Amino acid sequence: MAYTAKDFRSSLKPIWCPGCGDFGVVTALYRALVNIGRPPHEVAFISGIGCSSRIPGYTTAYGFNTVHGRALPVAQGIKMANPDLLVLVAGGDGDGFSIGGGHVPHAIRRNLDLTYIVMDNHIYGLTKGQLSPTTPRGAKTSSSTYGSMEDPVNPLLYVLAYGAGFVAQGVPADMDGLTRMIEEAIRYPGFAFVNIQSPCVTFGDPEDQMKVQKTKMRKLAAEGHDSANRLRAMELAQEYGTALYTGVFYRNPNPPATYDSQIRARQRNQQSAVTAAAAVAA
Amino acid sequence: MLHDLIIGMAGSGGDGIVSAGESLMSASAKEGYYAILTKSFGSQIRGGESSCRLRVATTPVLNPGGALTVAVALNWEDFLRFGGELPVTADTVVIYEQKTGIEPAAIPLSVRPAVVLAVPIADLAMKSAGTLQAKNNLVLGLLAGWFGLGRQAILEGIRKKFGRKGADVLLGNERAYTAGLAYADEHPLAAEKRLSPPQTDGRKRQVIDGNEMCATAALFAGCKFFGGYPITPATEIMERLQREIWKHGGSLLQAEDEIAGIAAAVGASFAGRKAMTATSGPGLSLKAEVLGLASVVELPLVCVNVQRGGPSTGLPTKSEQADLFAAAFSAHGDTVRPVLAPISVEDVFGVTVEAFNIAEEFQTPVILLSDQEIAQRKDIVDPIDTSRFKLVERLRPIGRELEGYTRFRLTESGISPISHPGMKGGSYLAAGIEHNERGEPCSSGEMHEKMNDKRLNKLKPLQRRRDLFLMEGDPAATIGVISWGSVAGVALEAVRTAQAQGLAVKLLIPKLLYPVAEEIYQEFFASLQRCVVVEQSHQGQLHRIIRMWTNVPREFMSLARSGANPIAPDTIVRRISEMARPATRTTVTTLVPTLSNQ
Repeated sequence: MAYTAKDFRSSLKPIWCPGCGDFGVVTALYRALVNIGRPPHEVAFISGIGCSSRIPGYTTAYGFNTVHGRALPVAQGIKMANPDLLVLVAGGDGDGFSIGGGHVPHAIRRNLDLTYIVMDNHIYGLTKGQLSPTTPRGAKTSSSTYGSMEDPVNPLLYVLAYGAGFVAQGVPADMDGLTRMIEEAIRYPGFAFVNIQSPCVTFGDPEDQMKVQKTKMRKLAAEGHDSANRLRAMELAQEYGTALYTGVFYRNPNPPATYDSQIRARQRNQQSAVTAAAAVAA
Repeated sequence: MLHDLIIGMAGSGGDGIVSAGESLMSASAKEGYYAILTKSFGSQIRGGESSCRLRVATTPVLNPGGALTVAVALNWEDFLRFGGELPVTADTVVIYEQKTGIEPAAIPLSVRPAVVLAVPIADLAMKSAGTLQAKNNLVLGLLAGWFGLGRQAILEGIRKKFGRKGADVLLGNERAYTAGLAYADEHPLAAEKRLSPPQTDGRKRQVIDGNEMCATAALFAGCKFFGGYPITPATEIMERLQREIWKHGGSLLQAEDEIAGIAAAVGASFAGRKAMTATSGPGLSLKAEVLGLASVVELPLVCVNVQRGGPSTGLPTKSEQADLFAAAFSAHGDTVRPVLAPISVEDVFGVTVEAFNIAEEFQTPVILLSDQEIAQRKDIVDPIDTSRFKLVERLRPIGRELEGYTRFRLTESGISPISHPGMKGGSYLAAGIEHNERGEPCSSGEMHEKMNDKRLNKLKPLQRRRDLFLMEGDPAATIGVISWGSVAGVALEAVRTAQAQGLAVKLLIPKLLYPVAEEIYQEFFASLQRCVVVEQSHQGQLHRIIRMWTNVPREFMSLARSGANPIAPDTIVRRISEMARPATRTTVTTLVPTLSNQ
């Protein structure tokens, strides 16, 4: 049966501030899930802590709003326990690249078939405006009155460096593009990463807001980028924080075997070894 | 003839002392004896000093025992490094390497054993086998000769072990063993020290350690996921499971850290599978937050904590019972997580199954508090009758419960049916944030109170589980002992010894440590005039936890000391006889003064 966005929208009213970029993200996600066509009860949606981590509750999927920074390991346990599920993971830049940063490389190299969506707003919104790992140097926040003294993490380069098979960046200012790349990420057989520049209307930089995004964004497809070219993708990713590229940076044209497919193969082999041994014994 | 023999051996890493102990262990099992083998090492990765103790007996062995019947020192520096782990008394037969150049009267011990035998171990090994590597098999010959330990079974063991390494190697080791036997025959002991023949019932017993038993039991209980990280002394649980779990349709993750290990296990439980993690002290500290998460989202989970000496890195290779506070009070907030402890390798099976059953029935994380001694010692265990155990599955929603499904429905028992992804109609939000019955985030004080009621009240039936307590001894006795974990095996022997000496005493062993079963303790205390809680932690953690929930009379004492050195049965017997004397209340001795005695 065909689903509509309504089938994926829960009755919970988001806690987000009016105008928050995350509204666009959840809408794009409903649309992507409609296009994918899996029933909501076969989707597990895992998050950590932060404004954006409230997102599973706004869907009709099985949601798990875990603890700060641990969405990826919880999600991997779910996918390993039941590889049939469609597993989505979401969180903010602090959840993914600060408190949970240590889990990202391992999720990437393990390569379970799941989609990781980061709503990157360069600020801690839920705790009302402190430095985040992607806040630019010099930024004045409630925890950096005199300006940040450290460089931000580059999420795109970070995940590309560890070998993620699918890396994209989107903005809520381009709903069609965002919907398409979330759908592609879900369809990619392996770990897929989508960084969404999702502006914080309350504590964020005025230069990050959606109105500005519309003028600043440069679509990678229009720039003639070949998404099979990982080195070029890394070059473009270097411009994180200066140029606002949107679209697919990298898609591995030859996806390697996923961890979950290897689990199934090992279970099959080991179980048939047991059956064979039993047959010999009999 | 002896019915019970304790052999302690120490040497340098390359001496093959531990390997000799393992050979004796498998020979003992083959012959039909019961035994416990404990190994102890310095914390070097390879080499350094190593030792083992083997207690072998004609009846089931409850603990590694106290003073040694036989001590073997390949050199004295290494032997002395183990101090109280290898206690020698005047009755111990001491065998040592003559090459050390020390006269029997001058051996560096604080006691003067009656029988001290300087044996040219290295020379005999060179002469018979042409290599010093055969020293350990020469020692096996000596032990078989003097103490009547399975001559034939040891030889068969040597053949099996060295048969693959070529005819020369096998021949050399056989010769060393035979030379040891011959030496013992030529130099008979003045007093008879042979072990009585074994009594067998023909059933095949297994040699197994607590960690392997835990993994075996987990698979039996239906564990389908393990997430963990290597840590001494718990790693063998993961190592065993990673060989087996796939055959059971499960999977295993060696995670990037302790937190990811437990987080993945919680994920697997959310996905509807029985899941487990295992760690030791430092890992338990790291897992605390996710244990709290499992409590609030009411997901079944088994977290094994194999206790080692702490705090911090502490004594990674030595046993202690000092993680009870950490297990009971691991995460923040108003929660109770059941804590269970096995008392022997064999008991690990039943307690592990029980941990899974409690986790499933009550939808809660359960901490299985093992200890290094049980986890890494090898016991000869009778076959386990698995038909005694029933397996529990979590309550799942059916039929109309899946229309307008409310995951955290407030029920009378506090237990509400739990769905999992893939179940149509069962979608819900599991959230660490406080929630209403539907799982929706909710910060009302009224709802928080109701949810706390649900999560805490549902565990109350556990406190009445008398089957999680063992009672031993004279029910009419007014002197009582309480002990738990591996130390309970020592207390059990002590109580039996005291009874054989005519003392009326009874022993209570809790396998459920937390929540505190108030009624059961209160009833036990009411029947007593004196009592002692025996455990291996400086603060006497069980004694203190019992005191938090029950009225413990001041004169009910703690007999507690730090880990590494085992508590000997004699120490407890002494305390029991002190308690039995009417006027000794003020002169009671303790191993270390504890706050409760001040």
